[in-house]
Amino acid sequence: MSLLEIAHLTGGYGETDILNGIDLTVEQGEILTVAGTNGAGKSTLAKAVMGLLPRASGRIALDGTDILAEPVERRLALGIAYVPQVGNVFASLSVLENLQVVQGVRDAKARIAELLDAFPALSERRRARAGSLSGGERQQLAFARALMARPRLMILDEPTAALAPARVVESFERIRALPALGVSVLMVEQRARQALSVSDRGCILDGGKVAMLGAAAGLLADERAAALYLGRAGGA
Amino acid sequence: MFGALLVAGIVHGLIIGLAALAVTLVFGIARFPNAAAGDTMTAGAYAGLLAHQASGSLALAGGAAVAASGAVSLLGYLLVFRPLARRPVASLLVAAIGVAFVIRAVLGLIFGHQQQVFQVPLAWPIEFMGLRIPPMDITLATVAACALAAAFGVLHLTSIGRQMRAVADDPDLARVSGIRPLRVMIALWLLAGAAAGIAGLMLGVKTVVSPEMGWEGLLTAFAAAILGGIGSPAGAVLAGLLLGIAQEVSTPYVGFTYKIALAFVVMLAVLLVRPRGLFGRMEGVR
Repeated sequence: MSLLEIAHLTGGYGETDILNGIDLTVEQGEILTVAGTNGAGKSTLAKAVMGLLPRASGRIALDGTDILAEPVERRLALGIAYVPQVGNVFASLSVLENLQVVQGVRDAKARIAELLDAFPALSERRRARAGSLSGGERQQLAFARALMARPRLMILDEPTAALAPARVVESFERIRALPALGVSVLMVEQRARQALSVSDRGCILDGGKVAMLGAAAGLLADERAAALYLGRAGGA
Repeated sequence: MFGALLVAGIVHGLIIGLAALAVTLVFGIARFPNAAAGDTMTAGAYAGLLAHQASGSLALAGGAAVAASGAVSLLGYLLVFRPLARRPVASLLVAAIGVAFVIRAVLGLIFGHQQQVFQVPLAWPIEFMGLRIPPMDITLATVAACALAAAFGVLHLTSIGRQMRAVADDPDLARVSGIRPLRVMIALWLLAGAAAGIAGLMLGVKTVVSPEMGWEGLLTAFAAAILGGIGSPAGAVLAGLLLGIAQEVSTPYVGFTYKIALAFVVMLAVLLVRPRGLFGRMEGVR
């Protein structure tokens, strides 16, 4: 059974559908990249899985249980975490407070200690305001915040969008390490080639539908994918 | 003379600061200007007056003021503002003005419209570094300092306070961090009500208690909240102090009638130099 199963998913913010019947799965322990042109529905898909889309129909199942009608709080409790594209840390709270404020965490003190061990840069700046962190540190904090509740599935919406180019590679390395922590990943990303290079599978959306789906290596080698969606190797 | 006015200004500024704290907390988290904050103060002043008349104790009066204003504030949220959540800010502002009128009308019906005073015993001023300070001013300043310490303690040292600040910072991120909005809102309205209650009690002790007292002070509280940087609790308190001191110190030069206007001149002058206020981003409690 897939960890996440999406079937016939449609929906949007207003009356117009942005997602037009998406079928997709995320398997246990895999990283799945969702790529596509601007306006293809990538971030909308991420929001729909997290329960943040005002209108959605179809089926979203976690471990076989339909969660489409469940509110955000229930999805969090079931093990889904979400790192938004922008505003992914509480800028006015300290690093430590960003972790302390996450609710529904068993043995929160021990979990914070684990995460500060895993992200030493944060440990050194635990009393600093999150708004004063560098882009790379902010992203580490965003990941640590999302990992607080020991999720099984992490949804990353454009994780490298706000990073300096020099930080992008280490960011993808961080994402590559998540399955070893028991976390599967659904990653929406503009830097499709780099994202696919750390992913097991990839999916390309076009007009709110799945245009291509397959092994990441296969998509990277695919002439049509390169021509229409990914750009040539060496590009972004 | 200047020293005495300065002391009076500090006490007056603490009252404004507490009222502004109530305004800015609601603005930062619930994201609308709560025009009922002044009348919530009045409810606290009357509850304090009743408790003081019954017991003669200012401590009990303070407890009664906090309890009554907290309850009024929470009721306003549950009965009016919660059902209107997600409506435009203008709708919430008009609703808050309506709540303010209702509170004032109820207080007028119960207590009448004549002015009432706290019967506090007269005491000789305390001499300190050439200043003659009324003991009641020291008491009120101590009460205000304790109330502010408690409010900032809640905001910065407790889990619910962190959650309130997180919601103020980014409500969407707070939602995906598992923070329950209803709990945060209940805590917010209780805390804002308590701050308004202490402000109402202090204002009542310093001046007179009447159904209109809070409404008349609301504009100054709003000015302090804006001057401090909307959504900044520390900014609201410091701006309240600044306006209070400016009003009292300017009294010999501009007269009693114009001292309130002078406070707004100070506010405008600061905002011209620093449009976001003393501590400000434009949104969110920090």
